[in-house]
Amino acid sequence: MAQCVQSVQELIPDSFVPCVAALCSEEAERLTRRNHLSFAELLKPFSRLTSEVHMRDPNNQLHIIKNLKISVSNIVTQPPLPGAIRKHLSDVVSISQPAEGLVANVITAGDYDLNISDQSIKASVPWYSNWKDTLMELKESTLYSATTPWFESYRESFLQSMPASDHEFLNHYLACMLVASSSEPEPVEQFLKLSQEQHRIQHSSDYSYPKWFIPNTLKYYVLLHDVSAGDEQRADSLYEEMKQRYGTQGCYLLKINSRTSNRSSDEQIPDPWSQYLQKNSIQNQESYEDGPYTITSNKNADSSMLSLDGLDNEVKDGLPNNFKAHPLQLDQSSDPASNFDGADHIKSMLSIHETKKMNTGILHGACLTLTDHDRIRQFIQEFTFRGLLPHIEKTIRQLNDQLISRKGLSRSLFSATKKWFSGSKVPEKSINELKNTSGLLYPPEAPELQIRKMADLCFLVQHYDLAYSCYHTAKKDFLNDQAMLYAAGALEMAAVSAFLQPGAPRPYPAHYMDTAIQTYRDICKNMVLAERCVLLSAEILKSQSKYSEAAALLIRLTSEKKHALRCYCQAMQVYKGKGWSLAEDHINFTIGRQSFTLRQLDNAVSAFKHILINESKQPAAQQGAFLREYLYVYKNVSQLSPDGPLPQLPLPYINSLATRVFFGHDRRPAEGEKQAATHISLDQEYDSESSQQWRELEEQVVAVINKGIIPSNFHPTQYCLNSYTDNSRFPLAVVEEPITVEVAFRNPLKVPLLLTELSLLWKFQPKGSNSKDNEETKELVTCGHEMIGTEVISEFLINSEEIKVARLKLFPHHIGELHILGVVYNLGTIQSSVGLDGIGCIPGCHTGKHPSNIMSVRGRQDLEIQGPRLNNTKEEKTSIKYGPDRRLDPIITEEMPLLEVFFINFPTGLLCGEIRKAYVEFVNVSKCPLTGLKVVSKRPEFFTFGGNTEALTPLSPSASENCSAYKTVVADSTSGATALTSSASSVDFGLGSQPEVIHVPLPDSVLLPGASVQLPMWLRGPDEEGVHEINFLFYYESIKKQSNICHRVLRHTAVICTSRSLNVRATVCRSNTLEGEEGRGGNMLVFVDVENINTSEAGVKEFHIVQVSSNSKHWKLQKSVNLSENKDSKLASREKGKLCFKAVRCKNFEAAAQSSEKYTFVDIIFGNEQIISSASPCADFFFRSLSSELKKTHAQYNSLATEKQSSDDAVRLIKKCSEVDLNIVVLWKAYVVEDNKQLILEGQHHVILRTLGREAFSFSQKQEPPEMGLLKFTRPENTMVPTKPTVEQLSSLIKTSLQYPESFNHPFHQKSLCLVPVTLLLSNCSQTDVDVIIDLRHKATSPDALEVHGSFTWLGQTQYKLQLKSQEIYSLQLKACFVHAGVYNLGTPRVFAKLSDQVTLFETSQQSSMPALIIISNV
Amino acid sequence: MAVCIAVIAKENYPLYIRSIPAEHELKFHYTVHTSLDVVDEKVSAMGKALVDQRELYLGLLYPTEDYKVYGYVTNSKVKFVMVVDSSNTALRDNEIRSMFRKLHNSYTDVMCNPFYNPGDRIHSRAFDNMVTSMMVQGC
Repeated sequence: MAQCVQSVQELIPDSFVPCVAALCSEEAERLTRRNHLSFAELLKPFSRLTSEVHMRDPNNQLHIIKNLKISVSNIVTQPPLPGAIRKHLSDVVSISQPAEGLVANVITAGDYDLNISDQSIKASVPWYSNWKDTLMELKESTLYSATTPWFESYRESFLQSMPASDHEFLNHYLACMLVASSSEPEPVEQFLKLSQEQHRIQHSSDYSYPKWFIPNTLKYYVLLHDVSAGDEQRADSLYEEMKQRYGTQGCYLLKINSRTSNRSSDEQIPDPWSQYLQKNSIQNQESYEDGPYTITSNKNADSSMLSLDGLDNEVKDGLPNNFKAHPLQLDQSSDPASNFDGADHIKSMLSIHETKKMNTGILHGACLTLTDHDRIRQFIQEFTFRGLLPHIEKTIRQLNDQLISRKGLSRSLFSATKKWFSGSKVPEKSINELKNTSGLLYPPEAPELQIRKMADLCFLVQHYDLAYSCYHTAKKDFLNDQAMLYAAGALEMAAVSAFLQPGAPRPYPAHYMDTAIQTYRDICKNMVLAERCVLLSAEILKSQSKYSEAAALLIRLTSEKKHALRCYCQAMQVYKGKGWSLAEDHINFTIGRQSFTLRQLDNAVSAFKHILINESKQPAAQQGAFLREYLYVYKNVSQLSPDGPLPQLPLPYINSLATRVFFGHDRRPAEGEKQAATHISLDQEYDSESSQQWRELEEQVVAVINKGIIPSNFHPTQYCLNSYTDNSRFPLAVVEEPITVEVAFRNPLKVPLLLTELSLLWKFQPKGSNSKDNEETKELVTCGHEMIGTEVISEFLINSEEIKVARLKLFPHHIGELHILGVVYNLGTIQSSVGLDGIGCIPGCHTGKHPSNIMSVRGRQDLEIQGPRLNNTKEEKTSIKYGPDRRLDPIITEEMPLLEVFFINFPTGLLCGEIRKAYVEFVNVSKCPLTGLKVVSKRPEFFTFGGNTEALTPLSPSASENCSAYKTVVADSTSGATALTSSASSVDFGLGSQPEVIHVPLPDSVLLPGASVQLPMWLRGPDEEGVHEINFLFYYESIKKQSNICHRVLRHTAVICTSRSLNVRATVCRSNTLEGEEGRGGNMLVFVDVENINTSEAGVKEFHIVQVSSNSKHWKLQKSVNLSENKDSKLASREKGKLCFKAVRCKNFEAAAQSSEKYTFVDIIFGNEQIISSASPCADFFFRSLSSELKKTHAQYNSLATEKQSSDDAVRLIKKCSEVDLNIVVLWKAYVVEDNKQLILEGQHHVILRTLGREAFSFSQKQEPPEMGLLKFTRPENTMVPTKPTVEQLSSLIKTSLQYPESFNHPFHQKSLCLVPVTLLLSNCSQTDVDVIIDLRHKATSPDALEVHGSFTWLGQTQYKLQLKSQEIYSLQLKACFVHAGVYNLGTPRVFAKLSDQVTLFETSQQSSMPALIIISNV
Repeated sequence: MAVCIAVIAKENYPLYIRSIPAEHELKFHYTVHTSLDVVDEKVSAMGKALVDQRELYLGLLYPTEDYKVYGYVTNSKVKFVMVVDSSNTALRDNEIRSMFRKLHNSYTDVMCNPFYNPGDRIHSRAFDNMVTSMMVQGC
């Protein structure tokens, strides 16, 4: 407790008690040892007198002494070593410490909780006195709860362990107990021996220690008698003998050990020793250990003396050092050696606990009964009353007499003679001289000291009045003599005795104390005494409620810097996190600086770190200063432990989450016309959409490789890992391929930071060595370079408040597991380091590495990346758990092939539909052969490598310049409108079930290491105008199968800008004429509208349609119909041309059954060159666009198709009649002027005709987004309405045509009725039998119809019922009868058709609208 | 007029603090911080019953060599502290009082902003301008 148990009035007398020496014979010592106690220890608990004692002072007045305590100790001839004292004190304090963390020393002052147990201060013991003031001040506060149990024990031990000094006599021995045992053979002899021994110790010059009060010391003879063992009668007789020899007042018979120890276990006897012995155990132990030096044994006294002499020198030699290291030195920090060594401290702590344990195990006083206790108490009382006090009384009287006699000599004379001899010189002594020496030193028995002796005696017997006056006189004398040490002692005691005077006649002279402290400290350099003085004074002041003065005293004693540091630390607790950022920075800065000057470097570093890592609001200059100071301090720290682990640097910030890892080489820059595959690089931003696309592409190709199933362990290849990618698995890196780590740094400061020698820190475990220790050895070793090469960035500057990324590379040369731990660098600023005020620049503090004056320190920062939060299971959802992020832990695998792809003559701009030939070069840059090369793209219609029917002739790119991309044949010009037929199958063009995955036709399908292959590649501009990003994913495998990596991929994104060229629209309709019909099947007309929609007038001059080709399984173009005037079909800007073709069914329709999948290609040439449309690349692109179109329509009508499934076959059959599969390819040439050069571009457009009469486009028109309909809450009722084929569909079931003469001359005047024969041709277009009903009756319902048609009638049978077989043509002879001349429409017959095997009749009029005009003229 | 104006939250952390000579910023921060003790003292001295109808203006908290420190506490225990140059004798109690009232009004406006999160630092241009006007005026 800060509140002391003892009041100051008790404390001071207890601190200064009469000292009595004890000298025991061996036998006597053995007796007491049976109780595990020495003789002095045995007496200790009983050393306080229970009753008042009376004494007469020199004036013969009665003086009462209360609560007198004496101190009995074994004679120790060695002064205690200061180091030992210090250790003892620190042990005392550490014992009294509350266990760490159990009781925090927290003071609640107002709103703040102050933790006053500062760790740095706890470490060094003497500074505990610093705390006292705080505690005393807090005593007033009702809220305080801090405890300092250590302080009292520290103070007590400190005061007790004061070594005896020459200038005062308070702890000099007043008397000596000579102890012998009754069991000794010759006790009387023994007493004599002891007495001689004591005499020798006191008076021979061999011993300067212990100190004796006066030359003739009181000797008190004690005979110890062991009751349980000894002969009691003998003891009594011996005692009688002693009484006669030494007088009754000079000897005593002490009977102890009334029982044997083994019996004692069941009896509980209080153990009054335990509380004393624990405290002093160290001291005692040491004194036992130092056995040879103590004179407890007489036998080896001589030898011990010899050894003592030898050791004495050593001790003396050692003294200066020890004194230097004394903790109470004023400025401790000036000497680093004085710091308490942590290890030492711990050791002492340990020893304390050991002894504690030891002591608790031993029962003291086991052989003593309570009666024995009383006997001892009695003995002390007897000794004090009969022996000690009379002795003191006598001595005081003697000294008083001496003084009075000297006073008689006239004090003035005495001083005058002094002045005469030396006094005149005294005032001339300079202050400096005084400070260097402690002034005069008196011999021990000097007359000047007599008064001091008397004062001390009076003080010891609590006669404070007399003591004060003596001290006061002594003080004056000493001051006159300039004996500063003596004067200080007198002043100190004068003040204390003035305070202790009963009734307090005069106020406490605090200035005496102050002077004493100053003198001790500054002049005598005796910090121990100064500390004692301060402790006493503080205690006194405290009792007078002068807390601040007491605090000031204590503060003055301690280091101001330390104190300041502590205050700042506490201020920090007030300001921390409260938003007073400037103040916080200032405090941190000061803490840092103070800690640095006090060599608490770790604290300094952490304080500076705080300033820098918090978002500082300081101006730039201030931040710069902070940083420089921080670096300086850090440098000193690292110099202290150069071999230690690299420190963690706080700056710059690393955004660990933004760390990206890239596996593989950097992208090569384009070389001339060669354009490398874009692949993937760190420069690209992550785009989830595109990464998803790549993933799909890879899945597609993997599915194709594995026959349609994606293996369950498939994971998409990730070359660049970032926070968006899936990092839950260990990434795979290939040996000998670099690993690039991009670290995102941020400089929070307004000053630039310079990082030098920046490199990655890693740990590598080579494959095969699984043992942990092996792994450890590889960590951070520089010799690991043959395992992993590390790139070092020599300089990396981050400007103020900048975010900058650094790319660091590793080159793995071995297979194994790599762990990238962090980065290591030198941190510095670019401003030159000016000497820091207050600290100063130590010359040569720079390491040789960086010769410039840039202040930098080497350190590391770890990269710790938290994985994504898990949110799958219920447990994960309810708690916060994070998955692993393994992007920095790649596994280095065996060699894999590495492909590089270059594109040669790859265009960036194309017209829609333009065909361009480019070359692609595949290079295997690894040491492994490569196979299974495939490319996958979402847009397979964009490019082709040519069909595999062709002989691959890899022409060099330069040779093919200005040549047509097509394969052409010179055609004879006469063949003009005729068609040239060829055939091909889609399988020939590498289109499998997955048109997106394209096999790259490598020669031998293997690319050897270092080999390169150039392949031609045709491109076709996409049909939509605009910018197209087309992704290619190249897939390849190693020849060797590996467990880790099955395949590798290479990405390429081509960007193509297309501009509008032609718009082609086509319709097909059934030709009505049945003439020229060879065989069956029918023919059709194809109308092709070609429009030049190119808008850039400057670029494209005109388009020429050079050829129109058809391909189909069933149809072919036969000839061009209207080619009369516009033979070369030029289309200037915005011109539109119309082409008409006749199409017929293929002849080999039956032969080439549908299963063969053969397409018939027909080319109709307008120029003089035939482009073979069935060859690459024309056919390639056609098939690709066809398949993509198919896919599109599939997707579109997928939902409809499912519905259609339910509809009956009839409808399908009917529909089939109107279906057609004719595909038109329009090949064109565009004349383009570019840079005053005319270029000819070629291209092709595809139109896919599916339905009769419906217009088809070269590219699907953009569909209007469906308008947002009302939200329906009711489910649309899915009533199965029997789907009816539309009228249109039905109408194409039967094709009809009327054959009649166009004009008919009839002499109406001769014959009023004109009969005209008309043939109605009916042709069944469907594949099944059709029932046909022909109704010739006019519709009577419609009046206007009557008007028109009323003038003619059909003769004969008016209704026919027929059945037409599949594809059958039937001609029906009809007769029309006219009565007037005129123009008539013969198209009145209504034809109803019905599938013959169907019950329901889908009757509808066939071609009812078709007019068939006949002119009847009258002749 | 004023050299430093600070708004301190109920929990004694700064909501807004601004001072004119930028180089002594830290000093002003300390001044304001220490003045909070005086504010607390004055508020607690008034006693429970009087708290409700007490005046918000606390008057002169303490004078230093160069400055005078005035205080004002709103009903929600938000403190306004104003440091004024001692040499400026033109400022009487009444002027200070009206300045505080103006400050309080402006502060209320800030609080009324639905986008302001009570307890955050004040970043309001209107408030800034008002404080600037009080600091510049008469200088």
